[in-house]
Amino acid sequence: MIQALFIALSAFGLLMALGTVFARNLVNAALFLVAFFFVVACQFVLLEAEFMAAIQVLIYIGAVAVLLMFGIMLTRNIQGDETTIVSRQWRLLGVGVAGSVLIVLFLGINGFKPWTDLGVRPEFPVTAETTTERGQAIIAMTPTVGREMMTRYVVPFELAGLLLTAALVGAVVLAQYDNTDEKTASAEPPQVS
Amino acid sequence: MAHFDLLTKNDFTPILAQRMFYEQVDTVLWIRWGLYLFAGFFAVFPLIVAYIVLAERKIAARFQDRIGPNRVGPFGLLQPFADFIKLIIKESIVPKGANSFVHILAPILTLISAFLVLAVIPFGIGLAPVDLPSGLLYMVSVSSIAALSIFLAGWSSRNKYSLLGAMRGVAQLVSYEIPQVMSILPVILWSGSLSLVSIVQTQQYDQGWFLFSPPGILGFLLLLISSIAEVNRAPFDLPEAESEIIAGFHTEYSGMRFGLFFLGEYLNVFAICCLSTTLFLGGGSLPLQGYFADEADHMLVAPFDASKQSVLKLNAHHEFPENPSTGFRINITNIVGETQAFQVSHRVGNDLVLMANRPVEFKADAYSRVSAAARPSYAAPWHLSNLIMIPVFLGKVFFLVFVIFWIRATLPRVRVDRLMSFAWKTMVPLAIANIFVATIWFEMVIRPVGGFSARLLAWLVTGLLTAGAVALVFRINRNSYQANDPERRPTLISRSGDSLLAATTRGL
Repeated sequence: MIQALFIALSAFGLLMALGTVFARNLVNAALFLVAFFFVVACQFVLLEAEFMAAIQVLIYIGAVAVLLMFGIMLTRNIQGDETTIVSRQWRLLGVGVAGSVLIVLFLGINGFKPWTDLGVRPEFPVTAETTTERGQAIIAMTPTVGREMMTRYVVPFELAGLLLTAALVGAVVLAQYDNTDEKTASAEPPQVS
Repeated sequence: MAHFDLLTKNDFTPILAQRMFYEQVDTVLWIRWGLYLFAGFFAVFPLIVAYIVLAERKIAARFQDRIGPNRVGPFGLLQPFADFIKLIIKESIVPKGANSFVHILAPILTLISAFLVLAVIPFGIGLAPVDLPSGLLYMVSVSSIAALSIFLAGWSSRNKYSLLGAMRGVAQLVSYEIPQVMSILPVILWSGSLSLVSIVQTQQYDQGWFLFSPPGILGFLLLLISSIAEVNRAPFDLPEAESEIIAGFHTEYSGMRFGLFFLGEYLNVFAICCLSTTLFLGGGSLPLQGYFADEADHMLVAPFDASKQSVLKLNAHHEFPENPSTGFRINITNIVGETQAFQVSHRVGNDLVLMANRPVEFKADAYSRVSAAARPSYAAPWHLSNLIMIPVFLGKVFFLVFVIFWIRATLPRVRVDRLMSFAWKTMVPLAIANIFVATIWFEMVIRPVGGFSARLLAWLVTGLLTAGAVALVFRINRNSYQANDPERRPTLISRSGDSLLAATTRGL
């Protein structure tokens, strides 16, 4: 049953990805991308990592997709009727590059071994003595992630925090209201009477 | 026993292990899901929402010294059906150049978000439709989809004023998400788990309502205020205000499409009230229930050595009748007198698998005391307890809904720049300060399992700190609230610090 669900979900996800690539209207393409992100979150749930699924929805749909929409809507005219038209040579080149990436992924997903030699997902019996680290990680992923971030991966964690702080400071500086700009643009504010 | 058959018979995975949390696995699980999906999705929640809408109109009317709708049925009780029929037969006008797929998708996304939030809320014992170990994280991530739907609504209307309203709405939502999440952090700290069922169990059996502590009060207020801003509810309903020139993201919606937005908004109100009740008011438990926690002497069946294994085997007669969810705290006192706290990972048969935050050396023999877990085994079975818990839960939720209506009837709308500065300059610092005070409460009361005197001392200390933090934040912000400063008087486009709006209008 899980297999059938996986196949149906993956087919739907592939359709959404194709929609992203082939959609003419940019906003429709972004919406297909949002649906694809959601399908990836569902795949995480099938892999029993609901923490990852929640993080995927939170970061990708809640932040990245919103940012993408802002980018589209603020840089196009109101409805964005114009669609992107790419010349023939670039399209051929794009198909070539994408095809080679596809071949590499297709072969590499099984470790460049023939597809008759499918690796079996290791059985994970939940018995009364399941105390391994992997067991705890799967059953309650959030405390495990927190613990690892504070012990083993603390340096990448701090570096990521530094990066985010730099981005935040940069955003504040960029968006800061410029008083000199105001004085040259309008001598007197419009009166509301 | 029935559950051990499942162990041998199934292709066993840890998520399936959660199904073992219930005595009769399959029937209870399917009943629960069936209840949520069919009864809840199609009947209960829309009915609740319809009557909440009617209640809002009548309550707002009473606040304004008039009677609300009372024509359609006795006391206007059939008004929602009249509204529904009206909305259906109205023509749904879609602007000519609008992207009609996105136009209908936006309210549907709002509804999806609200229903997904309601999916993890424990309405009673065994009545949480889904009990995820990371339920709170899931809920935060799902409620961030609502921002996207407002954006899509504004964009698809092909109306520059709708677009501006949508952008202001998204700015408001994104800004208030931060204090909303940060005010939940004390709850996570105190209960040690992200699972909403475990949070309710901690309040019900172990700690009492999280509201009854100064950082809890502040956290509850922060959560309520930021949730009201998240659902665009007065006094934060700038994105959907009818009297604004930038009339809002649902200007171009009419007929049933507008009805869907309406439904989504009130469902969101219901969802956030359920959330606040679950996190701070111990959803379903009576006020003083947690203080009479049973420290029964559950007996271990076999000696327990934490360095070698983490499985707690319990005596069959003293098994936990209610299944502790992931993260629930259990204290074990061995015969020497040392107490060690563990957290529940999952349950297998009569055994509880525990986890600790760091490797511990702890040995307990078969006569050790296991405490703060559950009711004794002579307590009522869960279906009878639910007869009390569900009405209590709904009573609290509807009281919070009434408070939200009360606030709407009382307070005027907040101006956009003051709305944003309230979020960033007042609520975020208060939420951060609240986390520190909550940690102090945790160290004084929860970790040493303090009694009455510890609690009293902690009330004094944290009460002073909380009051000091609130006073400090408001004092620092005092100068930015000068409404009569001519430099800062608002014009048609507000100039004082609202760079987002100024930047967007400059481009047009």
